[in-house]
Amino acid sequence: MKKKISAALLLLTFATHDVFAFCGFYVSKADGTLTNKTSQVILVRDGDRTVITMSNDFKGDVSDFAMVVPVPTVLKKSDIKVVEADLFQRLNDYSKPRLVEYYDQNPCQRYYDRQESASLSEVVVKNAPGVSVKQKKEEYKVKVEATYTVGEYDIVILSAEESNGLYKWLTANKYKIPKGAEEVLEPYIKSNMKFFVVKVNIEEQENLGFEQLRPLQIKFNSPKFMLPIRLGMANADGDQDMIVYAFTRNGRIESTNYRTMQMPTSKNIPLFVNTNFGSFYANTFQHQWSQQQNSLFLEYAWDVSPSNYVKCDPCVSEPPNFEDLKKAGVWWLGKDAYNDYVNQYETQKQNVFFTRLHVRYNRKNYAQDIVFQETPNRENYQVRYIITHPATGDLNCEAGKTYLKTLKDRRKKEMEMLVQLTGKGYDDWDVVMNHEEISKEVSYAALGKKVDSKANSNEAGKGVFMASAALLGMVSLIGAGRRKK
Amino acid sequence: MTGIPKPPDARYFQMTFQLLFLSYGLLFLQWKAEWLNYILFIITGLILQWIGDSFLSKKIIHPFHWENEGWKSALISCFSLCLLLKTNHWYICIFAAALTVLSKYVIRYKGKHIFNPSAFGIIATVIITKDAWLSPGQWGSGAVIFFAVCCLGFIVASKVQKLDITLAFLITFAGLLFARQVVYLDWSIDVFLQSVSTGSLLLFSFFMISDPKTAPNHPAARIIWAVLIAAVAFYLSAFKWMNSTPIYVLVFAAPLVPLFDRIMKSVKFEWNQQAIRAKSKVISI
Repeated sequence: MKKKISAALLLLTFATHDVFAFCGFYVSKADGTLTNKTSQVILVRDGDRTVITMSNDFKGDVSDFAMVVPVPTVLKKSDIKVVEADLFQRLNDYSKPRLVEYYDQNPCQRYYDRQESASLSEVVVKNAPGVSVKQKKEEYKVKVEATYTVGEYDIVILSAEESNGLYKWLTANKYKIPKGAEEVLEPYIKSNMKFFVVKVNIEEQENLGFEQLRPLQIKFNSPKFMLPIRLGMANADGDQDMIVYAFTRNGRIESTNYRTMQMPTSKNIPLFVNTNFGSFYANTFQHQWSQQQNSLFLEYAWDVSPSNYVKCDPCVSEPPNFEDLKKAGVWWLGKDAYNDYVNQYETQKQNVFFTRLHVRYNRKNYAQDIVFQETPNRENYQVRYIITHPATGDLNCEAGKTYLKTLKDRRKKEMEMLVQLTGKGYDDWDVVMNHEEISKEVSYAALGKKVDSKANSNEAGKGVFMASAALLGMVSLIGAGRRKK
Repeated sequence: MTGIPKPPDARYFQMTFQLLFLSYGLLFLQWKAEWLNYILFIITGLILQWIGDSFLSKKIIHPFHWENEGWKSALISCFSLCLLLKTNHWYICIFAAALTVLSKYVIRYKGKHIFNPSAFGIIATVIITKDAWLSPGQWGSGAVIFFAVCCLGFIVASKVQKLDITLAFLITFAGLLFARQVVYLDWSIDVFLQSVSTGSLLLFSFFMISDPKTAPNHPAARIIWAVLIAAVAFYLSAFKWMNSTPIYVLVFAAPLVPLFDRIMKSVKFEWNQQAIRAKSKVISI
C-alpha cells in the first residue's frame, strides 16, 4: 500500500491565558495591526520524520513563560534545539500576500512605446503587515521521562497515565493550567503521546544575553503528521491564527480532515488599497474564511530547491537560501549548496517544496487536530493583488477619451472585486489618494457608491444549482414512487 | 425489447448525482475547475470502453446503438475520476482513465471483472505515477453536503438493491471510530462527528463500495465483505495514520470477491436485472 505521507506530529503551543478576545477585523483608520493572535510554525516533513519549529514572541515577564506540546515520542536532547528568531521573519516576508503596482501609460503620448506590452509596466510590491506572534504559558503532568536544558529553556518530557495526575503535577510545579485543558489532555495521554514542557531558565537566558526568547525546534519519527490545535484552544474563546510554513520533498501539503482552500489571487483591486493593503488583506482573509469555515487557506506554494533559480515572482524579499533551509530543519539537503547544485542532475533528492498555510481556528468549527498529507502537487502559487495607476498628463486626444472610458469600466470592476473579496463597500474604506484624480467621473468615490450593495456574483450560479438539485430530487422521488406502484 | 415498460437504468441517476456533486464542489466549495482533466478522463474512458466492447462482441459497435450501453458505466467511472483524482499532468489523466476502463476487460475472473474500475484506476495511478493524489479533505464536513450525499446516495444505492453493503460498511466503520475516538480516547462527540460527516467517506460508501458488479453475489458474503473492508480501513487510519484507507482497502481486497463467490454461490448481478425482475413481477401478479 502506498505509504502516504501522513506523518506526524505535533505541536501545540500553549499559552496564554489572557488570550485576547477576538475583536473581529475591521477596517482601521490608522495603520492598525489586524491580526489577533497568531502563532507560527515551521513543519519539515519527509517519510516518517518531522521537524517542528515553534516561534516564540512571548512578550511578558519570561519567568511567566511556559509551553506544553504533545509529542509522539520521548525526545532526546539532540532532538531539541534553539534556532534564531529571524528565520520566521524571513519566511514570513518571503511568502506573505503581496500587492503589485502597474502604471498605465498616457495613450496620447504613445507613439514611441506602443509595443511595450500594452500599458503595464510592473513595479513593486508591498507587504502585508507582518505576522505577530503571541505566546504564553502554563502546564501539567506525571512521569518525568527526561529533563534537559537547551539554550535558555528548561525542558521536561513527561508521560502520564491519566490527565488528572498530569494536571496536578503541572499545577504543583507552578504551571498555570487553563480551565478546559484537562479534558483535552486525556485523549492525548490515551493516544500514548508524551508532553514536551518548556520553561525559561532565567540564569541561562541572562548568560546567553538574548533579550527575546528564541524559537524551539524538535524532531522525531512518527507516522503522525498533524498539528494538535486542540490543546491551544483550551483556554481561548475566540479565533486564533496560525501560519504554517512547511518544507517537503515532493510537493504541497494539504489537510486531510479540513478543506485546504486557495485565497483568491491575481485580482485587480482599487488603487486606494495601496495605503491600506494590510487591512485590505486582513478583511479579505476574514471574509473568505467566514464563508468557508472548516477550511485552511493556502497563501503560498513554491519550489525552493537550491537548484531552482526562480523562487518567487515577484519577490517581496529574499527567498530562503540554503542556510535558511538548513536552519529550518530540512535535513535531506547536502552539505553545501554547491554540492546540491552539482548533484541535481543525478537525483532529485535535494528537492524542497515550500507551502504556507494560514489557519484561523476556533473551538466550534475546528474540533479535530489538523492532519496533513504531502501531495505531489508542485504547482507554484502566491497571493497577489494588483493595483493600476492611471495615466498622467494631458488626455485630450481621441485615444485619451477612449482611455478614460475604459478606465471607468475598469475601476468599476475593481470596486466590485473589492466588495466581493472583502465584503466591504467604498464607504468602509479610509480612502487616501495621494495624487489628483484625473477626472471626477472616473474617481472611485463616484463609482464606489454604485457597487456597494452588489450581491456576490456567484449567487446566480448557486441559485441555478439549488433549483436544479431540487428539481432532480423531486423527479427522483416521483420516479421512485411510480416504480413502487 | 418487450412491450413492458422498462424502469429507468439506475446508472442515469448515478451519473446525475455525480454531476451534482461536481457542480457542488465547483460552485460552493470553490474547487479549482480542472476542465482539461475532466475532458481527458471522459474522452479516453469512452473511447476505450467502445474499443473494449467492440473487441468483446467481435464487431465494430455503432456508437449510437451500443448494446448493453457500456458507455454509461464508462461515464460513471470517469465522473468518479473527475471527483476524486487530482493531477497536474494531462498524460496522467489519460493513463488513469485507461487503467480504469481497461481493468474491466483485462482483469477478469469467470466473466466478472475483479476491481471496481475507478477505485482501481485511481489507486493504481497514484501508486505507479507518484504524480497524482487524492484529497480526502476536499469536501470538508459541512452539514449540508452531509445530508445531500446521504439522501442522494441513498436513492441511488437503493435503486440498485445494494444498500446492504453501504450500511454494513458505514455502521462498522462509524461504530469502530466511535469506540476509538469517543469511548476509548475520550474526545468530545464533535471530533467523531467531523470524522463521519466527511464527504469523502459518504461518497465512498454510497457510490463506490456499493458497486454491484464488483461486490460478492451472495447477500451474507456482501455483509461480511463490507464489514471486513471497514475494519481494515479503520485499523489503517487509526493506528497506521494512513489517508483515504477505505478506497485502498477496497482495491486490495477485491481479489477476495471471487473467493466469496466460490464459497457462497448466488446469482450474478446484471444491470438489466431490474428489467427482468420488473417483468417477472408483472407476470406473477
